Amino acid sequence: MKAVCWMGTSKIETLTVADPELLNPRDAIIKITRTAICGSDLHLYDGFIPTMEAGDIMGHEFMGIVEEVGPGVKNLKRGDRVVVPFTIACGSCLFCKKKFWSACDNSNPNAHLMEAAYGYSGSGLFGYSHMMGGYAGGQAQYVRVPFADVGPLKIESDLPDEKVLFLSDIFPTGYMAAENAQIQPGDTVAVWGCGPVGQFAIASAFLLGAARVIAIDRLPERLEMARSIGAITVDYSEEDVSVLTALKDLTGGVGPDACIDAVGLEAHSTELQGLYDVVKTALMMETDRPAVLRQAIQSVRKGGTLSIPGVYGGLLDKVPFGAAFGKGITMKMGQTNMHNYMKPLLERIEKGQIDPSYIISHRITLDEAPAMYKVWRDKKEKVTKIVIDPWAEKAA
Amino acid sequence: MSTALTERPGADVLPRVSGAAALLNGHYAPPPENKDGKTWVRTSALVQEEPQKLYELWHDLEKVPAWQEEIVSVTKTSAKTSHWVLQSGDKTIEWDAELLADEPGKRIAWKSIGGDVHEAGEVIFEASPGNRGTMVTVLMEFEMGVLTRMVKTFTGRDPKQAVVENLRHFKALAETGEIPRSQSAPHGERGMIGGVKRSIYGEKIPTPTGVA
Repeated sequence: MKAVCWMGTSKIETLTVADPELLNPRDAIIKITRTAICGSDLHLYDGFIPTMEAGDIMGHEFMGIVEEVGPGVKNLKRGDRVVVPFTIACGSCLFCKKKFWSACDNSNPNAHLMEAAYGYSGSGLFGYSHMMGGYAGGQAQYVRVPFADVGPLKIESDLPDEKVLFLSDIFPTGYMAAENAQIQPGDTVAVWGCGPVGQFAIASAFLLGAARVIAIDRLPERLEMARSIGAITVDYSEEDVSVLTALKDLTGGVGPDACIDAVGLEAHSTELQGLYDVVKTALMMETDRPAVLRQAIQSVRKGGTLSIPGVYGGLLDKVPFGAAFGKGITMKMGQTNMHNYMKPLLERIEKGQIDPSYIISHRITLDEAPAMYKVWRDKKEKVTKIVIDPWAEKAA
Repeated sequence: MSTALTERPGADVLPRVSGAAALLNGHYAPPPENKDGKTWVRTSALVQEEPQKLYELWHDLEKVPAWQEEIVSVTKTSAKTSHWVLQSGDKTIEWDAELLADEPGKRIAWKSIGGDVHEAGEVIFEASPGNRGTMVTVLMEFEMGVLTRMVKTFTGRDPKQAVVENLRHFKALAETGEIPRSQSAPHGERGMIGGVKRSIYGEKIPTPTGVA
């Protein structure tokens, strides 16, 4: 089959590789009909996530048709149409029982690598380094899905792939971010980063009752998209704009009730601290660039909530923890507990409350994927979301 | 206990002594020190299964190759003894083991009685505080010098880590009926440093299949 492979930092190639096979009783093989490039794949592309190995297949947002199931999978059969969550969960450990699926104890075969770095391991993920499980990803024509009796969500309606594909990661991730923001009626919510997760966080904040959402980014197409679903926008790159001042101006000096950092470890900043982080990460004295996290801690109102769906990987420098303590804020974060959200969000799509395909800007083939990673990373075109048809020969 | 605190609505009765000597008189005790050519490992896992079921799975010698790394076969040689064969790369290691204690649903202890391996160990199954599952604690002692350990770490896995991994596999098998695997995932050309990286990731040791 064809697959998009990581071959080194800033090096992605579409190669012909072996087809996946069933290994365990609860496995399924899925023939992928649509897959996507995630913003977090750019962290791999840029070499920010350790334990990637040349040849690893990328991709954790995918859906398709069940091709084959192991003897332990009773709820799926060949021909079923499914969306697969990017976190793999066994369904029977203490954490799965507590519905903390992204902390599954059993799904990461390389858990010892995560334990060495973080103390404990989270669940295994598709196509996201060896320390996260070493599973082949879904930017390919077929994929092996472990614990297939727990994760995949059956799509019984005739909704097109593009409307349900994002249930695999970014829609639930944006939704959990809004849920973690503990939004109360009348709240003002600020969202940093208007990429796909930020877009769905904005949409979900409204779905959960936010009175006003302030969206912060620097790319005009993203800000326009945020305005199109009802947010107020702030372009932090404009001359004389200070995000902290803007958020005070827009909230009567109080600050947003909740802040959502949908940017994570590779934040860009126009301030001096941006340069500081670039130098420190280059010298390997810091692993992440936490410019957004610093701003969000400083701008959230007293007693407010900070929700962090953006990915962080390691050690952060100059985080204003005194401000966090002084204001008594709550911080909630972590990988998405996908399995809690997929079905309720599918129902919202079926009811017509939201059509997640509004974020798609590019539709490409597997062969075009390597070039598009570069285009997206370097912001050469107006990219919001790239969807891949793994069976198309030419661009649609 | 004094009367300074009389309300403990969720507290369990405090055990005075717990699995593999982690607790003595209500006070935590660290695992034994490595010295005199002996290496000690103590590790534990919280497993969502009854102690009796876990005891039976651990006790099933024929099933051991399904979840212990590199074990090829275990054969019962008498009521209390068994013969173990381990294959590491092209090297075969064999030894005999004797059961020292066998308390159904609670505890199993053993030691090697000749062959290529000198070890002793025990596994304890006890209900966790608040009934969150069964706490499985393994304590093992190897007669192994520092140099041997370093060589083993380089060629495959640190023997201490092997005990941790085996308990992880045991837990996965008990909870899910299988052992998660990703080693034979399809991939593109690995390139030159692939082998070195696989060694670091512990992927030189095949993950047990979960099936004996």
